[in-house]
Amino acid sequence: MRQHKKALALWLTAILLLLAGALLTGSPGRSESVQEAMRDAVLHDVNQVGLLGIKAVSPGMISAFTVTAFLLLLAACMRIFVIPRFQYVPGRLQQLLEEWVGLFDGMAKSNSPHRNGFLGLYLFTAGSYIFVGTLFELLGIQAVTTHGAPITLPAPLSDVNAAIAMGTLSYLVILSGGIAGNGVKGVGKTLKEFSLPISMSFRLFGALLSGLLVTELVYYFVSLSFILPVVVGVLFTLLHALIQSYVLTMLTALYYGEVSEVAHSPKREKKTGKAAAPSV
Amino acid sequence: MPLNIDWQQILLHWMNLVILTGGLYILLYKPVKQFMAKREAHYQELDRQAQDKLAQAEALKGQYQAKLDEAAEEIRQTRTKAQQDLQKSVQDQLDQAQAEAKSIVAKAREEAEASRERIYKESQRELREMAAKAAKKLAFRRGADPFDQFLDLAEGGGADERR
Repeated sequence: MRQHKKALALWLTAILLLLAGALLTGSPGRSESVQEAMRDAVLHDVNQVGLLGIKAVSPGMISAFTVTAFLLLLAACMRIFVIPRFQYVPGRLQQLLEEWVGLFDGMAKSNSPHRNGFLGLYLFTAGSYIFVGTLFELLGIQAVTTHGAPITLPAPLSDVNAAIAMGTLSYLVILSGGIAGNGVKGVGKTLKEFSLPISMSFRLFGALLSGLLVTELVYYFVSLSFILPVVVGVLFTLLHALIQSYVLTMLTALYYGEVSEVAHSPKREKKTGKAAAPSV
Repeated sequence: MPLNIDWQQILLHWMNLVILTGGLYILLYKPVKQFMAKREAHYQELDRQAQDKLAQAEALKGQYQAKLDEAAEEIRQTRTKAQQDLQKSVQDQLDQAQAEAKSIVAKAREEAEASRERIYKESQRELREMAAKAAKKLAFRRGADPFDQFLDLAEGGGADERR
């Protein structure tokens, strides 16, 4: 009992000493102000990373490739080691995988019952990408900028280019659904929602960027780096990942279902209605 | 461009997403969906087999029920026939017994008639014999009142005995 008390006292003393040391030592000095850091987080015009020595791109681009590589590697591992061992009565991992696929497939089927083959795949990809991409910022993987300074790789979609790519690609998928379902009328139906790519892109960008900015702000000041990041960094990011995945996939599925639904001819309906109406 | 929008990077992101879509389709989405479809088909097949077996069992039950009904009908008919046979047999025996009784009665009557006839004849003969005896006695007893003698004779020789 006495030994336990001693160990507890030692542990608390170590925490307090380290906290005091961290506060007293202070930061070695920032090369940029908080304004510059946040401006760069939005615009990525200063801290760029070389893409295989070909071109300097924003760190979000590197994050996007990293997330894709991670997802494909994970999928390959699942394909090689897990899927061949699938049983009719599923285990936990199998259940997780089936739920993961079934969630987006079910979303596609419920929102677009008439045409959902490709939609299910797209929702699965987009949902997985947004979810994993948003959680990616928690890892804090470091990269070296073209200026030689270290930078933490952000969530891919906090880069405006990535958000625009995702929004416009979703719009193109919706357009393809419209064409496949209704031909030229489908194009018209989709073009009516011309604000959709912009709203989708900037919703994603705004949501992810706000998370990034809050995190940047919190980590910029050492005094805020205790306990608070657990809430800001982990819980907010998790919520964020879920919400953004759900919002984009749900919107895409809804619009896809709407524009790809085969339109009924009003003339035919009128005729059928007249025939069915009782004579007075 | 405002906000540092770079079309080249957007295209690179598109390319990235296309690669991801294709990769995930081949590696994860398609195999998992295939397996889920296979399992669904397996359980549907099991369900179909169970339905078939149930239908067969129902048909078999129907057949056996029909056979049971047939057997019950057969038993009913056999029982009716047995009852009819029994009734007929009883009637036959009754008729036979009645015929026998009639014949016995007729025979008894004949015998009784014959017996009466024989007794009658015998009594006639006895009467004749008695009359002859009486006449004989009358003829042999002289001096006695013939009427008393006759009476004595008629009473079976009581007067003689008294004497």
